[in-house]
Amino acid sequence: MVRTTRSFVISLCIVFFCLIMAGNASAAVELYNGTVTTGDGYQINNFVIDVTDAFPSAESASFYVYNNGNEVADFLINEGDSYELDFEDDSTIEVYLVSVSSGTLPVVRISLVLNNYPLGDVYESGVIDGGHKYAVYSGTPELKITKAVDISDVSVGDLIRVTVTAENVGDDKATGVIFQEPQQAKFLLYESFVSPTGQTSLEIGESKTIAVYQLKATEAGTYTLSPTTATFSNSAGLNFPQASSNSPVVTVGAGENLVNANIEFTTTLDKYTVSRNENIQGTIKIKNTGDAPATGVTVDIQVPEGLDFKGSSGIESISGVPKIYLESFGVQQEKEYSFTLKAAEVGTYTLSTENSYLYSDGVNTQLQEVSSDFVTNSIYVTKGKYDSLLEQPIYVYAIPLLIIGAIAGWIYYRHKQYKF
Amino acid sequence: MLNILIVGNGQCGNRILDAINREAFGKKSRFAKYLSQQKYKSNVQTIAINTAVNDLKEMSFTKAKDRIHIPHLHGVGANRNVGKHVFDDNKTHIMRQIEERGNFDVCFVITSASGGTGSSFTPMLVKELKAKHDYPVYVVVVLPFREEGTLYLQNAAFCLRDIRESGADGIILADNQFLKQMGGNMESAYNGINDMIAKRILFLLDALDSEMMMVTDLGDFKTVMSGGAGLATIGFYEATEEMPVRSVIQKALSPSGLLFSTDVYEEASRAMVIIRGDRERLSIDEISTEVEKLSSAVGHVFKGIIVRDGELPQVLAVLTLETASELENLYAIAVDAIKYERDKKERVANVKEVDRAFSQIDGMDPSY
Ligand SMILES: Nc1nc2c(ncn2[C@@H]2O[C@H](COP(=O)(O)OP(=O)(O)OP(=O)(O)O)[C@@H](O)[C@H]2O)c(=O)[nH]1
Ligand SMILES: [Mg+2]
Repeated sequence: MVRTTRSFVISLCIVFFCLIMAGNASAAVELYNGTVTTGDGYQINNFVIDVTDAFPSAESASFYVYNNGNEVADFLINEGDSYELDFEDDSTIEVYLVSVSSGTLPVVRISLVLNNYPLGDVYESGVIDGGHKYAVYSGTPELKITKAVDISDVSVGDLIRVTVTAENVGDDKATGVIFQEPQQAKFLLYESFVSPTGQTSLEIGESKTIAVYQLKATEAGTYTLSPTTATFSNSAGLNFPQASSNSPVVTVGAGENLVNANIEFTTTLDKYTVSRNENIQGTIKIKNTGDAPATGVTVDIQVPEGLDFKGSSGIESISGVPKIYLESFGVQQEKEYSFTLKAAEVGTYTLSTENSYLYSDGVNTQLQEVSSDFVTNSIYVTKGKYDSLLEQPIYVYAIPLLIIGAIAGWIYYRHKQYKF
Repeated sequence: MLNILIVGNGQCGNRILDAINREAFGKKSRFAKYLSQQKYKSNVQTIAINTAVNDLKEMSFTKAKDRIHIPHLHGVGANRNVGKHVFDDNKTHIMRQIEERGNFDVCFVITSASGGTGSSFTPMLVKELKAKHDYPVYVVVVLPFREEGTLYLQNAAFCLRDIRESGADGIILADNQFLKQMGGNMESAYNGINDMIAKRILFLLDALDSEMMMVTDLGDFKTVMSGGAGLATIGFYEATEEMPVRSVIQKALSPSGLLFSTDVYEEASRAMVIIRGDRERLSIDEISTEVEKLSSAVGHVFKGIIVRDGELPQVLAVLTLETASELENLYAIAVDAIKYERDKKERVANVKEVDRAFSQIDGMDPSY
């Protein structure tokens, strides 16, 4: 009884060992033992061994070997001899010529032994009529998956349409393709129009719409959509690493309950071409077109040198800068300030205002600050009425002054002469 | 070129002198002195002398340096005796002012006969001038309105006598009474008379220093002035429209042209007639006829013609008088005036006896 159990254990161990050996690459496995007619070949994966000639009388045959259609070796062996040819990686194939027999076309019997190669990796193995010219080689399908959103800036509650397409940009058919569409956190699948269905395949260059669906934004924030992935094999059934799509970024705003103040500042002048020493009337218009009140509305008037600010009511000059300050400014409120500028120097100027205000958007606790600039059209100050007089050479004044002086002198002299 | 001195004494003399200076500017404007120069042909020096500073101040066409103020209150109040004293006290000062202006060929002194300052200074000034110089001195004497009062009439009478005795070479009479036909108020009447006198004197100065077609000169003037009773007057007429030169001469010799009321054909003893104007308008025949008419009545008539292109005829006549019936009239009323003044003075002396009555209570006090 003990004996029988021991022998059972040993035989189990042997079976186990054999199984291990079978899975081991180092093992030599006979892949084929059969006949091949002259002119035909035998394909193992992308290798094709063609029987080019068989000589029954000489009991020998010649072989050509192709890898992916390119010749890599040729040899002539006699019956009972073998030839070892390099295969993928470090493995080899031993070609053993068993016999050569005559017929319409001579036929050879060969034995092909695969050394040091996992049998599982052999995806193609068989006789090919007509030899290497008719062999089909397996390639690398490549899936390009594109995930697109129709809108990337939305508010809470808004819908986003996501479209996923895949294109086979590789050089082999993708087979057994399985797309995986992940769930999106913070979004709700609102409606699905197209969804991936089980296994599919893509021919070289073929493109397919994989999925079309709508997501509903549920929470404010900026999110990166998870990519769509796919697993696939090539036409030879070879598996490839999974492909991934791009990841669009979607920004979700706070939505309906967000309010803002929007203040427009406009400065207009009654005229843009003046003579020196003339006055310009300016008006600053402030209007809140937003839906929230503003606070701390400030307008700093930047008066260029050459223009003099002559003041006005409501505009205070703080350390030389005319300033408007409004503690609060309601929705749709409108205010106008007028002021006077005096053109002091000839030149071209612009008047600019630096505007700013604060408001609460109703969502964030922090006040929002907005600042802007406004620049008027150019103001041209031309020469004043009497300016040309000042530019005259001195004699233009001197002569009349001399004449007036002379007359005054004469009158004074005469007056003195006759004044008793 | 002649060197001529014109002295205006007292308010009347000053004002006429100022009128002459204004006339010399050619324009009547107040601003003439600023706009033009005086058009004296000769070297004319003018001097205004007065005791009243206001009279001097009112002048406007006479240079300040030509106005000599002799301080004595505000005039001498028509008192010739006071005037003589003031002149004596200031004689050296006055004479030095005149000497400073060099030597002259002829001198005119203008004064009213009836005021205080002018009428007393003039004879004494003439005496001083004649003592030092040998140039002729003529006095233009303005006679008062007859109704101006006894003091003025009295002054006029004595003044004329004093001037005659001072050695003056001639007296040219201008009579306010006779000229008052000018009309208007006192001020404009004075101005009108002064302008008439000024115009005549300027014309005369111009004539004495002119290149004449038919020559009269200072010598002729002297001769005319030395004739008669040493009294003379001037007639003048200026045509304002085309008229024959004959009419112009006649008008110059008529009462409307003369400064003193006289019938020239009756009372004149020597005459000088100067006719000025465009050659075309000066008809020699007419001039000769008129001059002959005058000389047949008067005696010698000096005749001068000044040709001025484009001018209407103007005629000036200087006439010395043999007799002056108007002056006799003046003296007649002056004598009455002198008598009246003397009587009044005696009456006033009697009134002083009232003072004697008061003196009886001298040194007494009332007792109650
Ligand atoms: N034609 C003329 N006569 C004048 C003028 N002024 C005064 N008279 C006359 O002159 C006389 C008065 O003499 P005045 O010259 O005023 O007196 P005066 O010499 O200044 O002397 P006192 O004033 O007395 O010191 C009066 O008979 C006036 O009629 C004048 O402007 N023109
Ligand atoms: Mg006087």
